[in-house]
Amino acid sequence: MNATFKGNGNMTRHHITRRTFLTGAGMLGIGGLVAARLPGAGLAHAASGPQPLHHRIPGTDHALPAVGLGSWITFNVGNDPVLLKNCTDVMAAFFAAGGAMIDSSPMYGSSQATIGHGLAELGIDREQVFATDKVWTSDEDGGPEQIDESARRWGIRQFNLLQVHNMLDWENQLPLLQDMKAAGALGYTGITTSHGRRHDLLGIIMEREAIDFIQVTYNPLDRAVEDRILPMARERNIAVIINRPFRGGRLTKALRGQPMPGLAADYGAQSWAQLILKYIVSHPAVTCAIPATTRVDHVRENMAAITPMPDADKVLLPEGKERHAIARAIEAAL
Amino acid sequence: MTAWWDYSLADFLLFSPRVYYRLFENMNTTWGLVVASALLAGVIAFYLALRHGLRGNRIIPVLLALVWAWSGYGFLWQYYLPINWAVSYLLPGFVLQVVLFVIFAVRPLPLCFGWRGDFSSYVGLALVAFALIVYPFIGLIEGRGLIQAELFGSAADPTVLGTLGFVLLSRGTWRWVLLPVPLAWCVISAGTLWVMDQKVAVVMLVALWMTVFCGWLDFRNGVTRRRLETAEID
Ligand SMILES: NC(=O)c1ccc[n+]([C@@H]2O[C@H](COP(=O)([O-])OP(=O)(O)OC[C@H]3O[C@@H](n4cnc5c(N)ncnc54)[C@H](OP(=O)(O)O)[C@@H]3O)[C@@H](O)[C@H]2O)c1
Repeated sequence: MNATFKGNGNMTRHHITRRTFLTGAGMLGIGGLVAARLPGAGLAHAASGPQPLHHRIPGTDHALPAVGLGSWITFNVGNDPVLLKNCTDVMAAFFAAGGAMIDSSPMYGSSQATIGHGLAELGIDREQVFATDKVWTSDEDGGPEQIDESARRWGIRQFNLLQVHNMLDWENQLPLLQDMKAAGALGYTGITTSHGRRHDLLGIIMEREAIDFIQVTYNPLDRAVEDRILPMARERNIAVIINRPFRGGRLTKALRGQPMPGLAADYGAQSWAQLILKYIVSHPAVTCAIPATTRVDHVRENMAAITPMPDADKVLLPEGKERHAIARAIEAAL
Repeated sequence: MTAWWDYSLADFLLFSPRVYYRLFENMNTTWGLVVASALLAGVIAFYLALRHGLRGNRIIPVLLALVWAWSGYGFLWQYYLPINWAVSYLLPGFVLQVVLFVIFAVRPLPLCFGWRGDFSSYVGLALVAFALIVYPFIGLIEGRGLIQAELFGSAADPTVLGTLGFVLLSRGTWRWVLLPVPLAWCVISAGTLWVMDQKVAVVMLVALWMTVFCGWLDFRNGVTRRRLETAEID
């Protein structure tokens, strides 16, 4: 942890708050979990059949499927029983295809509760899910309570990964996550941004702070992270999660009905969505992409993009110049 | 530090139109009788406003207090809040509006409803009629089923539109205090609908603009300031 960004006046309060939180966590029985192995390892054995492509979390022995599941908008369905069932079906298909990382945030309305509902309904083994959430508050003391509430909604005791959402109040919230990790109450720490915003600040935090993950926007049209952020992540052993792979759905919608380019067949991509995902996860710095969806067929299609064909032992992915050709083909199709 | 102004309006759209419109379907099917009663309350209030009867001056604010209370509790709290945390900041506005209507109903600030034949009256009449009769069917044009109809008295948007109409159909020095909450709702709702690509957002903005314009016209013409005769009040 680097304390240079914090005013001294704030330090005492943070420390008290974090200590209180960690003590409270112990009282809730989380202390027992601290010594236990955090879920996340061995995820490759979650489903039978051909396994999806896994990428190693840099600097660890843990690997993650290269496609996860987002939950912004798609899982915010309130108490609607029909839509809750629909989201549970999406999660079922996701896990059946070997998926693991689900990403949410306290900002996403009822999405956390929807995930909790789905996990409980499906009886998902805690080892099978890489629970990824965020802390999102500008109240410097508000993090612990929010994290507790998020875990309650998920129906879990601790997260695999917690990120500072949009770097909001990161000076106070990131040290909290770092302390939780040090105490064994959290697997990994991270920060997020999207839409190419605030890459300068992101770069500074990556340079100065000990973080395990960053989450940024990257797709064939939004490539700002290619210049500095992705190379930096590689250099510093930081795992990279990609949000908005389909530009919130606008990209796949714009491409709908357009003929697929010939090169798609070279990588076994059967849809634009698959071609985009292959483009994203083939970047050497990318750990996984987290498309969100309300549709079972789409989650299957997305997972299939990183799963070898029945007759193959490897997923076909573009490299180097081939990746540029895909980006150009997508630009040309729009 | 990352600040709130780094966010755009679209960042705060947390739900899809599908989920939003299903809120009305769920409310209409679960609370059918209450929803119908709230609509009926609006129709009665409209009738009383046009009849110019003295009793209406008391009953209309009571009916409007009831529908705002129901819309706040039924729609906002029960249905909208679970998908939109920002609603917790809007609920106090609904409570305030209910309190204001109660104050007008018990008469410390008298209001007098009725047709005056001026431009504002026409706009007021049009707004109430639109909220009661037309707004619920707008979804049909967009291909949504009638079961998802947004009805006056329960759904917030038509309740707000109708309320603006009732205010324009009224006289009284203090009637303007009934405007800030509905007008603020128009802005917020228009923003939400616009981000969801719903053309009906324009309706909220037009209603807002018309109300402000008519309010200004009435102010200039002295409609709001004209003393109410005791005979008009009791
Ligand atoms: N600052 C942050 O931390 C931040 C910001 C943005 C996003 N995120 C995270 O990243 C996740 C992903 O981003 P996003 O949800 O904004 O956008 P996205 O994943 O790029 O797009 C989601 C949209 O893509 C469509 N889609 C999914 N699979 C598809 C397929 N195979 N074919 C066609 N369309 C498909 C979905 O529609 P259907 O429902 O019809 O499938 C959905 O509406 C979020 O859910 C969230 O967890 C984080």
